[in-house]
Amino acid sequence: MRRALPTLAVLALGFVLQIAVAPYLAIGDIVPNFLLLVVVTLSLVEGAPWGAATGFAAGLMFDLIGTGPVGPMALVLSVVGYATGTLQANLFAEGWLLPLTVLGVASLTVELAYWLILALLGLTSGFWHAFVTVMLPEALYNVALGLLIYPVLARFLRRDRPMKTLRRIG
Amino acid sequence: MQTSNPENTRARPALLVALVVLALVLTTVYFREGEAGPLHQSRRVVMAASVPFEKVGEFVTRPLRAVGSWVSGLGVSRADLTLLRRQNEELRLRNAELEEARQENERLRSLVKFVEARGLESLGARVIGRPANSWEGIITIDRGTAEGVEQGMPVIGEAGLLGQVVEAAQHSSRVRLITDQRSGVAALVQRTRVEGIVRGSIDRSLTMDFVSRDASLRAGDVVITSGMGGVYPKGIVIGEIASVRKQPNTLAPLVGVRPTARLSELEEVLVLVGAAPATNAGSGE
Repeated sequence: MRRALPTLAVLALGFVLQIAVAPYLAIGDIVPNFLLLVVVTLSLVEGAPWGAATGFAAGLMFDLIGTGPVGPMALVLSVVGYATGTLQANLFAEGWLLPLTVLGVASLTVELAYWLILALLGLTSGFWHAFVTVMLPEALYNVALGLLIYPVLARFLRRDRPMKTLRRIG
Repeated sequence: MQTSNPENTRARPALLVALVVLALVLTTVYFREGEAGPLHQSRRVVMAASVPFEKVGEFVTRPLRAVGSWVSGLGVSRADLTLLRRQNEELRLRNAELEEARQENERLRSLVKFVEARGLESLGARVIGRPANSWEGIITIDRGTAEGVEQGMPVIGEAGLLGQVVEAAQHSSRVRLITDQRSGVAALVQRTRVEGIVRGSIDRSLTMDFVSRDASLRAGDVVITSGMGGVYPKGIVIGEIASVRKQPNTLAPLVGVRPTARLSELEEVLVLVGAAPATNAGSGE
């Protein structure tokens, strides 16, 4: 319960930011993915199972606020949340450089996997075009926003530890 | 807050597998169920629940956009502009609001003229939400089934075709713009009557596909809806040809189309409620 309430609050915040704020932060047609940011943060703070579960919930939200099929982003964010969460054992969440690197890799992975699923379903095409015009710019944008948002979110979720520079557990 | 219990954070592949299977089941169910299925219903519920937040987002950013519009629409010299900037903030904002109201009035008049000239029955709507992710060109409008909006109805702006309603809740609807990668509109080049399909793409550009290689096309030709397929009424302006490239190894020329409507700055739209709703709104025409 102690972890559930802050997690729900952060997920709800991610949902609201995605529908009410993200559209107006769009650069060209590139819209930042706040839900991904929330999932990566939660995963790095809480670990793999929590990351998978919150990834599924956030992905489902993402699918439901769009008009495409329901399920693909839930699948992708579950896997990415889980994979990111496995790093928790070797990585303190209170740093910022490595988590942001993880965010960048996670963002690109999510975009690639989402494109792949949409392509398999016949809903998109042209990999390189999508990579250059959507995937790469969005990953960079997410990392830029992560610089501002990740430390705040991580601090909120882990109030027992101060945010410090990067350090690894020996 | 306590440090996470290692037991809780230990990797559990079974949970991941269960979630992946659940996601795959959801995707399968989504494609197999009808419009009245639980996932489609859930989406409408989420859409209805999102509207207040979308309206807040739209409302909060409106002054910023209004000031931007006011500044860009002000045809005065730099000296005058400097003088105006010295005036107090309240007067500036009021001016912005008045300018906003005037521009809105002009846009609405243009919309009404456009529809009246074509004898179409329409319903005015305000844009309350913009694309929430990079993969879709979808906007939300503040009219829904309670006002007579149905899935498949065409949506136009003062400059021409905008898209089609793909999801309708009670007091809001989602509109897929013609630039969305899943959009396709049966089209006609006005000058030569050459037919084709105008498609959107992931970078929101438009192309005209399935055009005969021998067709006479040139930049600037106006592209309109052909009425084929019964989704969009014939004669609505889509855009104009921006480029024509013929390559030796392709059957059809690569035709780029520039939309006449400024799709990123939409504020008011008209839903053509008189047009027959399409049976399959998801795939366009």
